[in-house]
Amino acid sequence: MGNEPERMAKIKPPRALRVKFGRGSMFGEPGNVERQRRIVMDALEALQTMVVPGTVRELSYQWRR
Amino acid sequence: MPIDIEYFKSAYDKWVEEGLAEFTAGNVLDVVKRYPLIVSEDIPWTPYAGKPSEQTIALVTSGGLYLKDSQAPFNTTSIHGDPSFREIPKTARREDFGLAHAHYDHTLAEQDINVIFPLERLIELEQEGIIGRVAETHYSFSYVNDVVTLLGECIPQLLRKLKAAEVDLLLLVPV
Repeated sequence: MGNEPERMAKIKPPRALRVKFGRGSMFGEPGNVERQRRIVMDALEALQTMVVPGTVRELSYQWRR
Repeated sequence: MPIDIEYFKSAYDKWVEEGLAEFTAGNVLDVVKRYPLIVSEDIPWTPYAGKPSEQTIALVTSGGLYLKDSQAPFNTTSIHGDPSFREIPKTARREDFGLAHAHYDHTLAEQDINVIFPLERLIELEQEGIIGRVAETHYSFSYVNDVVTLLGECIPQLLRKLKAAEVDLLLLVPV
């Protein structure tokens, strides 16, 4: 997972999800069990569907403190 | 092309020498901006095979988690950071965690550790049969600048533990 596109471009993870959440909360707002679960499910799906090295999928979920 | 750690080491040693006084004085951001970040030329790749419902998953976070009652906190003041890791058992509960990482706001993680370490969600998915098995041990790193020790000592140690535990999948959650 990641949340900083520029840094991810340098690190080049083999497969990754990019979230729009800030540092310190990669899974969004505290207590949102469904959102956290959804992101883990997204990760499992990405694992099975990403076939091109370096693929980064941006998740659209948004939340601000 | 593999990472040239010797080349990095000379750049890193120079960065430490030039930035130590400033870092120690608290001007961390300016020093970190000059950090000689390793830029990977290649993308490591292992094709995925199997099904999550038949495999073992483990978590790795860099949020600085440690067990308050039984583990030492990470070093949060050194310019090198702390390249070591802590082993977090599957049975750990929210109240067991301390956070030792000086470079992010802990407020949200203290409210719900799952925002950086979703162990409870993994256990639920295991109970539902979506994940085959949640590993007995998970791992936390903290703030690290000393990539020489990290890559030379700590990551090989971590990989040995993951292989011994027959972990198939790793979910990496940087913080």
